[in-house]
Amino acid sequence: MPKMSLDMQGKWADRPLGMRDVFPQQAKLRWQVESRLVRLFDAQKFELVSCGTFEYVDTLLRGRAEEESRDWVRLLDSSGRMMALRPEMTPSIARMAAPLLAAGMPEVRWCYGERVYRRTDDPASLSWASGRAAESTQVGIEWIGGSGDAVDAQVVSLCQSGLQELHLAEWQMVVSHAAFAPEFFQALELPKETIQDLLRDLSRGDYVNFRSLATASGIHQDLLQVLADLNPLHAGSLPLWLTERWQQTEAGHRVQTVWNKLVDFGQVLQQKNLANHLAFDLTLVRDVSYYTGIVFEVFAPGAGAPVALGGRYDDLLGQFGAPAPAVGFAYEVERLLTALTAGEWLAESDQNGGV
Amino acid sequence: MLTIALAKGRTAEGVMPLWQEAGLPIPADLDDSRALVFEMADTEFGWLRFLLAKPADVPTYVSFGVADLGVVGKDVLLENHRDVFELLDLEAARCTLCVAGLPAHRDTWARKVATKYPRLADQYFRSRGMAVETIVLSGSIELAAVIGLADRIFDLVQTGSTLKANGLVVYDRVLEVSARLIANGSSYRTQRSRMESLLDRLRQTVAIHHRMD
Repeated sequence: MPKMSLDMQGKWADRPLGMRDVFPQQAKLRWQVESRLVRLFDAQKFELVSCGTFEYVDTLLRGRAEEESRDWVRLLDSSGRMMALRPEMTPSIARMAAPLLAAGMPEVRWCYGERVYRRTDDPASLSWASGRAAESTQVGIEWIGGSGDAVDAQVVSLCQSGLQELHLAEWQMVVSHAAFAPEFFQALELPKETIQDLLRDLSRGDYVNFRSLATASGIHQDLLQVLADLNPLHAGSLPLWLTERWQQTEAGHRVQTVWNKLVDFGQVLQQKNLANHLAFDLTLVRDVSYYTGIVFEVFAPGAGAPVALGGRYDDLLGQFGAPAPAVGFAYEVERLLTALTAGEWLAESDQNGGV
Repeated sequence: MLTIALAKGRTAEGVMPLWQEAGLPIPADLDDSRALVFEMADTEFGWLRFLLAKPADVPTYVSFGVADLGVVGKDVLLENHRDVFELLDLEAARCTLCVAGLPAHRDTWARKVATKYPRLADQYFRSRGMAVETIVLSGSIELAAVIGLADRIFDLVQTGSTLKANGLVVYDRVLEVSARLIANGSSYRTQRSRMESLLDRLRQTVAIHHRMD
């Protein structure tokens, strides 16, 4: 046994905050998972693309709210322009695809496997499994140019087949719609600021504040429960009082339209046998503002945060100069590995790298 | 199995009566054991595991998903923001975040503040246009004011007896806080039905207390 001690003299080089070393066995396993997923995507005609790690902040902010940039790692280029390490791949793909779409390419089907970055104080081993890691690996697809239930169902199907490909034993997909909760609150004739606050509470899971805000706005029903009980797989879960109320206003008609779409989508999912590990949950609100249609997250025991996330973003490409409908999702590879190996993957890199 | 992290001390003590009144299972030896983990089987909720953790660590356990649920004071959630779902205000283990000090300093300009809550103290004093120096301590904050390390303390006050015993008075009551039931987002989405039955019981019991108050 080599003698271990504290490095009093500062002989060893420091590892930067939040960064994590991955030693032989583990690096290989991660690479295998990445490449199996990329191969699956490739077989489904999603071609692998790549790009640089930096993007300009103004690029990343197209189509989204300033406050979403709070945990980006920012720096200045030599001319003083603000850059950031990409927090995800979707804006980069949109940037790359827009000129091609504008030049007449009808459809872009790309996939990627890249590292993404966030500011965090959490230790990497834990944040990889559950929180926001400083550096993590995302493997995903973006399908630009396709829309409709059939396309969305195909994306859901692809996401599920990736999990099967990896033999992930237990998982649960939760589906919602980005427009449902906002329209639902508008149909209740709540003020704009209240709606923003309610949506923020839903995305953060601050249900205590949600309830007190709803009560303070003069709503007597338990709104959260009403939302939670709605299940597009059972059209009958929509209570009569809601339907009646929705008929009376413009916003009501809009939320009814979203509901009808979701019921249709639910039927497509059932027909295609995709609803077995899937549940709708209309309290699910993603904290990414560019989503316009279905959104989904996949959970697996052992990982404290989603192992896959995605949704439809029909307005984002317009922000990049080439309006086109789009949908995509990404796997969080380190979280998948944690779930696949019951946490062993995180521990073993210490053992192999340590003494 | 459902893992529940409880904030040791004041919060756990304040919440246990409510928990028992709601008919929820609790290990018999929770109070008088030095163990930190308790497992028990329950006919309704299946296997339950209770962790006793330092209050500030409860959101950490929950956000990393090692615990599915947690019981912790709102003060802790406000001071150390973590990605956890806040499911229910248990309206128990109530306390007040207060600014306090020696009676003689009451009308002086705040300069040095001792606290366990650097973030909240900073927010509070800045919102009043006061630039104070924050001294972070981990316990017995009163001592700092008594011996003159700070001219203010920013701390949680339950009955006020500790303040009184040390000759300190409350200058301002900043925020009422109570215990919250929190959940890991991932656990909540996947184990919703199991958590919901537990949540319902607690919610009903809280509502009964609410009516009695």
